[in-house]
Amino acid sequence: MAAALLEIRQLGKRFAQRQGRDQGREPSPWVIQDLSFSVREGEFLTIVGPSGAGKSTLLNVIAQIDTATTGEIVFDGATVSTRDPRALKPGIDRRIGYVTQDDNLLPWRNTLDNVLFALEVQGRLNDETRARAEMLIRAVGLAGFEHYYPHELSGGMRKRTALIRTLVYDPPVILMDEPFAAVDAQTRTQLQADLLALWELGRKTIIFVTHDITEAIALGDRALVLSKQPSRIAAEHAIRIPRPRNVKDIFALEGFAAIYEKIRADVQ
Amino acid sequence: MTDIAIDNEPHANVAWRKWAIHGGRLALAAALILAWEYGARTLGRLFFAPPLDVLERIVTLAASGQMLTDIAATMRVSAAGFAIAALCGVLLPLLLRRSLRATEAVEPYIMASMGIPKYALAPWLILWFGIGDLPKLVVVTLVVFYILYITTFAGIRGVDQRLINMARVIGASERVIAREIIWTSLLPFFFTGLKIAFPRAVSATIVGEFLVSTEGVGRSIEHARQISDTTGVFAGVVIAIALVLAINGIVNLIERWALRWRPVERDMQI
Repeated sequence: MAAALLEIRQLGKRFAQRQGRDQGREPSPWVIQDLSFSVREGEFLTIVGPSGAGKSTLLNVIAQIDTATTGEIVFDGATVSTRDPRALKPGIDRRIGYVTQDDNLLPWRNTLDNVLFALEVQGRLNDETRARAEMLIRAVGLAGFEHYYPHELSGGMRKRTALIRTLVYDPPVILMDEPFAAVDAQTRTQLQADLLALWELGRKTIIFVTHDITEAIALGDRALVLSKQPSRIAAEHAIRIPRPRNVKDIFALEGFAAIYEKIRADVQ
Repeated sequence: MTDIAIDNEPHANVAWRKWAIHGGRLALAAALILAWEYGARTLGRLFFAPPLDVLERIVTLAASGQMLTDIAATMRVSAAGFAIAALCGVLLPLLLRRSLRATEAVEPYIMASMGIPKYALAPWLILWFGIGDLPKLVVVTLVVFYILYITTFAGIRGVDQRLINMARVIGASERVIAREIIWTSLLPFFFTGLKIAFPRAVSATIVGEFLVSTEGVGRSIEHARQISDTTGVFAGVVIAIALVLAINGIVNLIERWALRWRPVERDMQI
């Protein structure tokens, strides 16, 4: 087994009390407590948990948008977690990409300019990277929509734009927070297929959080199950369905039903 | 039923609405001018100068070049005061954004200074700043500053933190975040502020010119008032209104261009 690229050790998180009203009361509850797992390079890890299990909080801490209260995160051999909000380094030098639940596209930029935004701010916009952006836009079926503003796109198109905005600058690790939760079932299946096709090309390390067990099985090499708050790892399942997988017929594949039942039993 | 008609004939409907609005405006203008004319006839020329007399006076003023000189003088002070106020009113919130503590410390003083009745201090402003453009400039700057300060701050508080987080993860510097995300997000607020502040700047300049000046639209009005020339006062008022409408039109054009990405701007176009 390859060495872990990202390791979460005894992570704990609780939010600071609000000033004033809550002061002097008992401390706020733990959202995440004593949570540990690791991810290998090139692995597609899915994390399943019920709503309110602290999934987004976990990814925010890994992406360094938020601090950890206890525990540490080791990335590429170095401890990167911090307790000091001012010492946070979101995206740790562009090596951790984050596709959030909301697409968070810039409403004043069209599709192409949203995709190019990352390259622009990183000072890496040149003919080669621009060609890569255009290739990705074509790959997810957004050709012809380059000059549309986000509000003119459908929900699925916005998700695709948000996805390739992260893929275009090629971070070695990508966090995904229920990116396909808000779209209809058919679009979701298509987006999953698109994501797997893109992943087969580059084999990034992906941590994909979802509440949908089918999605977790269809996409992942391994699925972790989170408990209710405070979040811990309740179970771990290797998914041995061979790749490339046909997401549309995932139910029919050998082994799907068995693993589905096992995970469902673990999800409280 | 109307909904169905809208769905079936969107183009016809849009054209019809356009004409309805223009027609309505014209009818309203005609009604106002008629009421004005009626007032002049029943109450006398001292109360209301007849519209045609006012128009004639404006033509005379325009022909003699007096109108252009007045407008230039008024605009000079308005624009300069506006520029200073806009710079401070936008930059100060952008700087204070960095520190919650500084904001909380400064805010009560800014709000308190907003309560100062500026025109009541006019004699002292003249005493302090002389009888040139400076006292008027101070009044205009003060009037405009608060409007832009408050709208800009409202815009900053409304910026979507998730967009900022996204930009940080991508590797954007704080400078890029300020320029791209914070500035663009607060543009709609900024334009709202502009639309309130610009007419106020012009009005403040004109009131300032009543008190102290040798030129400008306000001085023309004041001069006419002193010799009981109602027509002259009305002509000045009409010029002031036209000036504000023209500026508002320009601000609207710039806004439409700068905010062309906003869905509301498109949907609201007639």
